[in-house]
Amino acid sequence: PKITYNFLFKFLVIGSAGTGKSCLLHQFIENKFKQDSNHTIGVEFGSRVVNVGGKTVKLQIWDTAGQERFRSVTRSYYRGAAGALLVYDITSRETYNALTNWLTDARTLASPNIVIILCGNKKDLDADREVTFLEASRFAQENELMFLETSALTGENVEEAFLKCARTILNKIESGELDPERMGSGIQYGDASLRQLRQPRGSAAQTKQQCNC
Amino acid sequence: PSPGLQGLFTKRLKDSRSVDQRDPGWKLFGKVPPVQNSAKDSRKIHKVGAQVFTSHFSFHKEHETKCGQFGDPTSPRQSVRKNLEFEPLSTTALILEDRPANLPAKPAEEAQKHRQQYEEMVAQAKKRELKEAQKRRKQLEVRCKMEESIGNAALTWNQEILPKWHSVCASRRVRDLCWQGVPPCVRGKVWSLAVGNELNITHELFNICLSRAREKWKSLPVPVAADTESQDAGFPLADREASLELIKLDISRTFPNLCIFQQGGPYHDVLHSILGAYTCYRPDVGYVQGMSFIAAVLILNMDTADAFIAFANLLNKPCQMAFYRVDHSLMLTYFAAFEVFFEENLPKLFAHFKDNKLTPDIYLIDWIFTLYSKSLPLDLACRVWDVFCQDGDEFLFRSALGILRLYDDILTRMDFIHNAQFLTRLPEDISADELFNNIAAINMQSKNKKWAQVLFQMLLYLEGESCS
Repeated sequence: PKITYNFLFKFLVIGSAGTGKSCLLHQFIENKFKQDSNHTIGVEFGSRVVNVGGKTVKLQIWDTAGQERFRSVTRSYYRGAAGALLVYDITSRETYNALTNWLTDARTLASPNIVIILCGNKKDLDADREVTFLEASRFAQENELMFLETSALTGENVEEAFLKCARTILNKIESGELDPERMGSGIQYGDASLRQLRQPRGSAAQTKQQCNC
Repeated sequence: PSPGLQGLFTKRLKDSRSVDQRDPGWKLFGKVPPVQNSAKDSRKIHKVGAQVFTSHFSFHKEHETKCGQFGDPTSPRQSVRKNLEFEPLSTTALILEDRPANLPAKPAEEAQKHRQQYEEMVAQAKKRELKEAQKRRKQLEVRCKMEESIGNAALTWNQEILPKWHSVCASRRVRDLCWQGVPPCVRGKVWSLAVGNELNITHELFNICLSRAREKWKSLPVPVAADTESQDAGFPLADREASLELIKLDISRTFPNLCIFQQGGPYHDVLHSILGAYTCYRPDVGYVQGMSFIAAVLILNMDTADAFIAFANLLNKPCQMAFYRVDHSLMLTYFAAFEVFFEENLPKLFAHFKDNKLTPDIYLIDWIFTLYSKSLPLDLACRVWDVFCQDGDEFLFRSALGILRLYDDILTRMDFIHNAQFLTRLPEDISADELFNNIAAINMQSKNKKWAQVLFQMLLYLEGESCS
């Protein structure tokens, strides 16, 4: 069956190696934990259609490699992203310390209006925790990020993280703060959109396709 | 036959197979004198005779249950037994024996009919068995042929090619043999020779690098926790330290389904050694994600020290160095050269990808970094390596075009996200023959220029760009 949608958002999943980016994506798409996970080389993809505030939104998710060395490559994928999950591992201070760098990249290379949600992943490993909830939530406030602690293993807050990010983007569109028609907004109208708009070349082909997710 | 019956039927076939394996169970049939030697046939009859003898079906079932009791005393089907007043000893017994005393005797006509049906069934069963035997023989022949050809190929490699490698390695014959796939037993040797050892790495050098790596691991400040200093140190140093940590993390995430590289697995330490030694051998390159897959494939085919030598030499090839140093502009040059051949070979798909803004880096990065070992089934990846070790980077890009050509139809029908997903997670059932036919069909000449020439032209262009 052809699933139509009102909007298509480009999402990024970024953060240091081994924080569980691909597992978060897998949990979000497949609703289960990926046991034998490879490490991502370059970029992998996922997509899912979600309902947010009465609108159908297709999320096109770019799951990037975490190693520092790959940053020159992954940076080129930031362009035109509407939202991002910025992931660290609550059991690794190192991954938390790297957040500033990831954040700078996201804000400068994607759109300055990019909506970012900070995800403290591996919430299930509370015994090995190195970063407190309070500390991270302060960091999130200072940097105007949304914040959730997630567990790709149990699925806790995983869906919420993606949906929260999507909902915020939608709100910003409705309030006029975000203009989907601006180049590089990371937002495209779907064919279910009520607004009839002349679509850019690339998106016409994309939205015409049926979605099997 | 009704589908319901069919359903029961296949189930029962499975049962009879399991009974087969439990020899003592069949002794039951030994009690039936006239059918002693047809115990096997009687089982076949189950298969062919069910349509005819539907009325006897429950008896069959009952009998099977009896046999099944040996292994499965709690079978629910046992309860059926209680409803029966007599116990048939076997299917054949059932057919040939007269009716029980408490029932009217079988009319001669019916008995005759049953005998005829029984004989037909036996004949059919025999026919079927013959056919199956033939099929088995054919399968065996094919397997033997394959084994023989592998054996022959191994012999050819061992006797005719490996001893005088350097004089024959460039020959048409060796090239063809590589394209057909190197037999696994000589693969390690062939790869080692084909990759060569330009770097003149000795086993001693490997051991020195390894012991250095071990010292580093020991002196590594155990979990770098609470180290807020490195927060914005611009990363190079932190990255290097972290790379030792990252190796540990990634080893467990390398071919996780094989369960041999993970903590406690037989090759865990070997993989760790090679990657660690490499960071000491080439600290300027260090550990880069993707390397663990290459090292793992080598380990599966050769000794540790030889694997290290091949690993270091493989990575030293210009294309691999460009990628593993993540020299982005150089990588883009390779992609640009790739696109020249892409457009020439698959113009429709090329245009489709362009329309959808699907750039080659999206799928090529994974393929090139891991030399296909992550994206293709392992045996197929090894066959790509068989030619790649000989032909170099050109074959990597040719293989990429082969994959695109193989799935041309599907890819032209899908949008960006589905293509991106498809190409970063290729189907697991790719046929080797089809893939290699498609790779062979790729033309690696563009306007009379070969891959290397096109690439060189691109490099010149890149240099010109950076000068101006």
